[in-house]
Amino acid sequence: MEFITNVLFSTLRVSTPLILAAMAGALSKQVNLLNIALEGLMLIGAFSAVIFASVFGNVWYGLLMAVLSSLVLSIIFAIFVIDLRVNLIVAGLAINILTLGLTAYLLVVLFDARGAFIPNNVVGLPKFIIPGLDALPFLGKVLSGHGVLVYFSWLAVLLTHLLLYHTPYGLHLRAVGEHKEAAKTAGIAVKRIEYLSILLGGVLAGLAGAQLSVGDLTLFNENMTNGRGFIALAAVFFGNANPGITAVGCLLFGLFEALQFRVQIMTGMPPQLLQMLPYLIVVTILIVISTRKKMQKG
Amino acid sequence: MKHFSFWRNQFLEILKILVTLLVGLLMGAIVMQLSGKDWFQAYSALFSSALGNRVAIANCLLAATPLIFTGLGSAIAFRTGIFNVGVEGALYLGAFAAAWVGFTFITLPGWVLIPLCFLVAAVVGGVWSYVPGLMRARLTVDEIVTTILLNYVAILFTSYLVNYPFKVPGMANAMSAQVAQQAQLTRLMPPSQLNTGFLIAILATVVIAFIMRYLNLGFELRSVGDNPIFAKWVGMPVQIIIEKVMFISGVLGGVAGAVQVLGVHYRFAANFSPGFGFTGITIALLAHNSPIGVLFAALLFGVLRSGSATMELFTDVPRDLIRILEATVIFFAAMDFSLSWLRRRRDGIHH
Repeated sequence: MEFITNVLFSTLRVSTPLILAAMAGALSKQVNLLNIALEGLMLIGAFSAVIFASVFGNVWYGLLMAVLSSLVLSIIFAIFVIDLRVNLIVAGLAINILTLGLTAYLLVVLFDARGAFIPNNVVGLPKFIIPGLDALPFLGKVLSGHGVLVYFSWLAVLLTHLLLYHTPYGLHLRAVGEHKEAAKTAGIAVKRIEYLSILLGGVLAGLAGAQLSVGDLTLFNENMTNGRGFIALAAVFFGNANPGITAVGCLLFGLFEALQFRVQIMTGMPPQLLQMLPYLIVVTILIVISTRKKMQKG
Repeated sequence: MKHFSFWRNQFLEILKILVTLLVGLLMGAIVMQLSGKDWFQAYSALFSSALGNRVAIANCLLAATPLIFTGLGSAIAFRTGIFNVGVEGALYLGAFAAAWVGFTFITLPGWVLIPLCFLVAAVVGGVWSYVPGLMRARLTVDEIVTTILLNYVAILFTSYLVNYPFKVPGMANAMSAQVAQQAQLTRLMPPSQLNTGFLIAILATVVIAFIMRYLNLGFELRSVGDNPIFAKWVGMPVQIIIEKVMFISGVLGGVAGAVQVLGVHYRFAANFSPGFGFTGITIALLAHNSPIGVLFAALLFGVLRSGSATMELFTDVPRDLIRILEATVIFFAAMDFSLSWLRRRRDGIHH
């Protein structure tokens, strides 16, 4: 029993950055501007969060700076993609390379640290023991006691859903994604919608990064995101950019990540093979989805 | 007349590459200035150490060698409108395949063993990339996501191979056994590690340029890249073209890996590539997918890579600066209108 609660607890924890990033991805996919830059946005978020938390001695400033830094990069991304009409994949890859280089560069230049930065004065984001829920026998151990961003990520799924399907803005956003020219003809301010969804995504991706670096541990590693931005994108494809299903996809990845560690210890299976599995599963899911679509089309 | 315009175009292409790279260097200088580093000193150290003497120049060519292959592999796919990000994965599998042949069939003479290593590496890399190509062509599975994900699979799988079944006992790091002496490529200018792999890279450039310019496949892939719907309507086998191109792209990745193993390291080590495949993407974009442009751009990146280590050593400017420079180059290369083929692909090729 304790094994199960432990696994589920870690599942929720490790899914959080994926869920936050995937919501950003869903917003971008719905407006037809697939955000390949998520990986880089998360990385700069993770970097800023721990650096500024250390500099100011306050983790909330770190969180704020994570959002701001990711937002600034999102603005650059949006300008290149929306105004300068640079191909969005290329721009996304460039953002990813830029952040990878910039964070590693600054780590050495500012802190004389190569590879990792582990400050000793940073306390991670606060954990919440939820009164009442806490007392429940099984659920309490799984749901209570998480960091603040874990709970926020659930809220983010709900908000993204409401935004997309229950507000005029969401309707416009999906209209732009469906058929840009038609949306323009209907009088929708296409550019503004595109900017808004990319920038909102920037905020979410910044938070996703912060969860990695100050959510639990308080440290930054070079290339700390290690493909999580792309896993989040895969979840977006899995859920066809529907926030709820996309989040379920993220939880599945999270479950796998949480299990992997334990299975490895219990069975002695090579870690590399276990680590490979989620990637292979995503690819398989993508194939299944496409095959189904193809068959539906006839 | 036609030939005249061909060379003029090549010249303009190379000029564009130089200008873009200068913008990148400028950005690097700005970043260094802002972070309180002496950019002039850093660049002096970089270029003087990279181009200071014959051996240093040989080292630049050495650094450029894998990038030529990965750049060509990316370029041929991009020209077809296929965004293959998976050359890195093909490189890993090709590298391991070459090492495996090299340390397994040790009784074969060099003139058989070396071609065999390359052949197996090429086929392994080709088949590896053919799979996402197939998925893209037949099932319209987005190749960007699949190739990115499959890169992780390839890197982890080869790491597993040298950590478990092919582990050499007593080695601190996970690496395979050494390839047979006769499988090792000849060094061209010792003490530099520059080897005959560089000549193979030149040859590959010529072959890919020939395919893209003169062969039927080249015409077809350019048509698909320019306008997939039109290509389909005039009866071109678009799916098969995509699959072929992805195979070739993977072959180039596999050969890149083989050259690193047979020419430089003599064994396969887990996680050995510092992103050769990804820099290949930058190079292809910078060169606007022209093979000769790729050769030139790869040589420039070879200089940067080769010199950056010395720069780090003597001026305390971290070599990660090169990545910042690389990102700038991508942005500016992509702003060029020649990339309009890429802009179209989102709307066109899926239908």
